[in-house]
Amino acid sequence: MSTTAPEAVAGGRTGLAGALVVPATIFVAIGLIGPVAILFRYSLNQFIPGQFMVDGLTIENYVKFFTDTYYLNVLMRTVRVAVVCTIACLIMGFPLAYVLARTESRFKNLLIMAVVLPLFVGNAVRAAGWMTAFGNRGALNASLMGLGLINQPIEIMFTETAVIIGIVAVNLPFMVLTLQSVIEGINRNVEEAAFSLGAGPVTMFRRVLWPLALPGILAGTILTFILAMNAYATPVLLGGPKFQTMGPLVYGQFAQQNNWPFGGAISFILMTATLLLTVAAHLIVQRRYR
Amino acid sequence: MARLSLTHLQKVYGDFNAVDDVTIDISDGEFLVLLGPSGCGKTTTLRMVAGFVPPSAGKITIGERDVTVLPPWKRNCGLVFQSYALFPHLTVAENVAFSLEMRKVPHAERAPRVAEALRLVQLSGFDERYPRQLSGGQQQRVALARALAMQPDVLLLDEPLSNLDAKLRQEVRVEIRDLQRKLGLTTIMVTHDQEEALTMADRLVVMEKGKVRQIGNQRELYERPADRFVAGFIGRSAFLDGEATAPGRFRSRGGLDIDVGAAAGTGAATLALRPERISVAAEAGTCVNRFEARVEHVSYLGALLDIDVRLSEHDRMLLQLPNRQGSIEPKPGDTITIGWAEDAGLVYPREP
Repeated sequence: MSTTAPEAVAGGRTGLAGALVVPATIFVAIGLIGPVAILFRYSLNQFIPGQFMVDGLTIENYVKFFTDTYYLNVLMRTVRVAVVCTIACLIMGFPLAYVLARTESRFKNLLIMAVVLPLFVGNAVRAAGWMTAFGNRGALNASLMGLGLINQPIEIMFTETAVIIGIVAVNLPFMVLTLQSVIEGINRNVEEAAFSLGAGPVTMFRRVLWPLALPGILAGTILTFILAMNAYATPVLLGGPKFQTMGPLVYGQFAQQNNWPFGGAISFILMTATLLLTVAAHLIVQRRYR
Repeated sequence: MARLSLTHLQKVYGDFNAVDDVTIDISDGEFLVLLGPSGCGKTTTLRMVAGFVPPSAGKITIGERDVTVLPPWKRNCGLVFQSYALFPHLTVAENVAFSLEMRKVPHAERAPRVAEALRLVQLSGFDERYPRQLSGGQQQRVALARALAMQPDVLLLDEPLSNLDAKLRQEVRVEIRDLQRKLGLTTIMVTHDQEEALTMADRLVVMEKGKVRQIGNQRELYERPADRFVAGFIGRSAFLDGEATAPGRFRSRGGLDIDVGAAAGTGAATLALRPERISVAAEAGTCVNRFEARVEHVSYLGALLDIDVRLSEHDRMLLQLPNRQGSIEPKPGDTITIGWAEDAGLVYPREP
């Protein structure tokens, strides 16, 4: 993987700017657009058991998905989990991001590190950790039963709740960091001006902070929503075999069923759903606040 | 509009006294300026009045209301920031109407009040612009209009002119002062710019290290500075270190005996002289205090000449001569006679 030095460096500013974007552009083109295009082509192929993949031009894979309630339920469940996770991240992330952005503590960098810390632990390791906490004999149930608060272990493991908790834990740092950088860009005096003009904290938030932080809120929700829609390790480990979401479903079609055309179709449906929901949500938000 | 009283106001951060026992009474309609070097506590004092900094001790009253523990949104203080702090997502009219919206003033009443506030700052017709479409001076006027529209009991100005260029600063300075007089607004302004403070204030408060050094009008501060700090901070002073040997007598480090006006006490002291009170050559002839001085350095400042002179091995001072036609122009190395009247010198006990 060697990149030859771009020739245009010697040329003027525009040449240099062009040269600077070349490596990333090549990487994205080869690494992303190429495979996606191939995947899309596969999704139009036929799958005949025993023959693997047969070249064709058919939409039967898409029809199969949208006519089978099992798959539709998987899509609905994935969207529901992603929406709940995104909202939870926003509600928990905003106050945290605000405090981080406004603190004058000399431990600020340490605090930011603490927020990012969960990302140092890989997804699978973290999910395994949650498993030991949520299990019937896990730390949570053992503590509650030991304290005599409950008689029966609470069923958390292998439920939607466990998956949501797991995904929120992964996604929260992305939300917090995105919001923090935007809130830092909002002049503190603007908040104070609102207070002095008679706005209480709630009104100040609604009329000043929220609209000014909106670009960050949009970026943060896009990021966490996409990550939640495409989560793989967390739903597999915390949701268990019966809790299907789109990410594991795609993997299953490719790796276990060897049904590449259907896997490709599901991939495309997941991608399109993510994109459409993101765009729709932000059109609504922007129309309201701009 | 109302009287504003700060009583034994204090703000302590850890073991640092940011504001130390500040007591100021501001009468109805008065324009008071808090002046001092950075870190002197003037901004903290203003922020305590606005309600952003809770005082460690002391009391703040606006009119009859004790506002010491009230949150900012219940104080009715109009605030203008150095950074303007306009709401960038709202138009000029929406910015100005913000306080009216907060108080649920009926819609029908808002438009005339917004128009009136914008007319006062000469920005009629800018209603639909956004702050980013305005120049710095215009933005600061909108900030002022926004504060005026709320009909505040007290107007607080936090270095409102510091972000403007010099020419504009002159203009806005006069505008703010005229408006303040016309509306009879009780006003506190914080600034580190002496000229700004002197041209705008009814009364000035000189602060240093959290303490009030002197409260008075321009003339009092300049002609009767309370201590050495004020003498050096307001206008320029020439200082001679030495000691007060007897009432009315001062001996410099270099051994010059100087007659001064009424001066209390004896001991280590500093003599402060306003440079323009020192006469040169023939004009010095009638002065009680008269010395030979060697010119060390001359700075040409247009209307004035700044001249550093040495009176003895240990005594140096600064004179200012008006640059009049035909007047003498000393050169470095010249020996000149300088003198000053008895009452020109003010003696302050040396500060530790």
